[in-house]
Amino acid sequence: MTALLALYRLLLRQQVTVGRLALVGGFGILVLAIALGINRQVSDQQQAIADGVSLVTALGIGLMVPIVSLVLSSSTLGELIEDETIVYLWHRPLARWKLAVAAWLASASVAIPLTTLPLALAGFIASRDASTAAAIALATGLASLAYGALFVLLGLLFRRALIWGLIYLFIWELFVANVGGGSAQLSIRTYPLSVLARLTNVDIRLADHSLPTGVIVPIVVALIAVGLTAWRLDKIDVA
Amino acid sequence: MATDVSKSFGPLVAVSNITLAIQPGVTALLGPNGAGKSTLLRMLSGQAAPTSGTVWVAGGDPRTDPQARGRIGLVPQQDGVFERENLLAVVRLGAILSNVDDPDRAARAALDMVQLDPGIERPVGAFSKGMRQRVKIAAALVHQPNVLLLDEPLNGLDPKQRKQMIVLFQSLGQQGRTVLVSSHVLEEVERFGSRVVVMANGRLAAQGDYHGIRRLMENQPLRVRVECADARAVAGALVAGGSVVGCRVTTATQAEIVTDNIRQFRRDIARVCQERHVRLEEVMPLDDDLESVFRYLVGGGQ
Repeated sequence: MTALLALYRLLLRQQVTVGRLALVGGFGILVLAIALGINRQVSDQQQAIADGVSLVTALGIGLMVPIVSLVLSSSTLGELIEDETIVYLWHRPLARWKLAVAAWLASASVAIPLTTLPLALAGFIASRDASTAAAIALATGLASLAYGALFVLLGLLFRRALIWGLIYLFIWELFVANVGGGSAQLSIRTYPLSVLARLTNVDIRLADHSLPTGVIVPIVVALIAVGLTAWRLDKIDVA
Repeated sequence: MATDVSKSFGPLVAVSNITLAIQPGVTALLGPNGAGKSTLLRMLSGQAAPTSGTVWVAGGDPRTDPQARGRIGLVPQQDGVFERENLLAVVRLGAILSNVDDPDRAARAALDMVQLDPGIERPVGAFSKGMRQRVKIAAALVHQPNVLLLDEPLNGLDPKQRKQMIVLFQSLGQQGRTVLVSSHVLEEVERFGSRVVVMANGRLAAQGDYHGIRRLMENQPLRVRVECADARAVAGALVAGGSVVGCRVTTATQAEIVTDNIRQFRRDIARVCQERHVRLEEVMPLDDDLESVFRYLVGGGQ
C-alpha cells in the first residue's frame, strides 16, 4: 500500500504541469461560457435540461473528456518511457499492477475533477437542475475512468500516443462509431451517454444501453486496460 | 551469472554469446562505446530480456523474480532522474519501493555515503550532472543490495568526486558485495584495482586481473603519427632502435610509425630527437586507444 501511494504521488506530481492545466482549464471555461449563453436563451425547464444534456453530450463526453484524458493519461507512463526514468520504478521489487494502477489513479484524479466539475456546473447552469448536474457528473466520471485507463495503456504502447489517441478518437469514436450499429457497441462514449440518457430521460443518439450496462462497461473497460498495462509492463524492455 | 547470453535488436547483434560469472568484490566491465556493456548490464538487471541464454543474478532471474531484483542496486546510464523531485524524495522513493523499513533514515544514510546533503531542497533537475549521478548512486544503495550494477557511474563527476566514489565502490566490494562497474576509460579501471572483463563488438574479449589485461594491451601494435623537422632521419633512427616494427614517411615532416612496445618507443623518440637536435612537434596515436586494443583482443592477438 505504501509503495502504491508513493507511486501515485510521484506520478501525480509528474503529470501536473502548467501547460496541461491551462489546456484543461481552457476547455472547462469554454464549456461554461457556452452554458451561460444557453441559460439566457431558454425559458422552458424541460428544454433547458435537454439543452444542458446536449451540451455535455457534444462538447463534454464527445470531446472534452476523451481529449483531456488523452493528454493526461497518455503521458503518465509515456513520459517516463520517453525520458527513460521508468527504469527507476521498473527495476524495484514491485508488482507491475501497482505501477499500472498508480498511473491510472494519478491521471484519473486530475482528469475527473477537471472535467466533471466544469461539465456538471455547465449542465447545471444550462438546465437549472441539480439532478441533471449529478447525472452529468456520474457519466463524465465513468467516461474519464475508462478513457483514462485506455490512454495510460496507449502511452505505454506507442511513442506518439497523443497522435494515435487523436486518430482513435476522431476516426473511431466520432466517425465510425457514429454510424451506429455494431461499431457503436465498441465505442466507449455510448455507455456513459446511456447513463446520462437514462438518468435525465433525454433522448441521446447511440445511447441505447441500459443503466447497469452503462455503468458496468466503462469500469470493466478500465480494469481490462489496467490489466493489459500491467501485463505489458512485465514484458517490455526498459532503457 | 550469464550463460551464453545474446541480445539482438533486429539484425543488429548487441551482445553475442557471453558466458560470465562475477564474484563478490569489484569487477570492472571495460569496453569502448557501443561494445555492448550497457546491453549486458540491462540483461543482468532484468531490464532487457536476452534473445537467447540465461541470466541468474542475486539468487534468481531478475527479469521475472522481484525478490532477485530487490537484491540488486542499479545505476543506469541515462542522465535523467525525476527532475521535479528533490534528492531526498528520489532516494526515499527507491527505499519505499524496495520495502525498506525506515525509508527516510535509509535515504539519509545513502545520501551521506555519496556525500550529498539531504537538506538540499531544489529539484534534482537543477543539479549538475555530477550531483545527479551521486543521487542515482544513493538511490541504488538505499536498500543495501548484495549486487550493484553500475553503468558508467563516474560520468560527470569531477576528479575529487570520482576518487570518493571509487573508494566507496572498493569498500562495498570489501564488504563482500558484488559490484560490477562499467567504464570505457582504461585509467578509471586501473584505479578500481579490480578484476576486469573486457567487451568489444558485443563479445567477451578478455577477462582477468587489471595488470594482466594491461600487459596484453601494451603488447599490441600501435600506430603513431610523428611530426618533427626531419621525419626521415628520425624514422630511420627509430627503426634501428628496435621499438618500431613498421614505418612510412608521409611528408618531410611526418611519419607513421607502428610500434609493439609503446613504453620503449616513448623513450626512444625523445632520445633520437635530442641526439639529432630535431624539434619534435607532435606524437599522435592514430588508433583510438581503446578501440585498437579491443580490436586486438577480439582478434585473439593476431
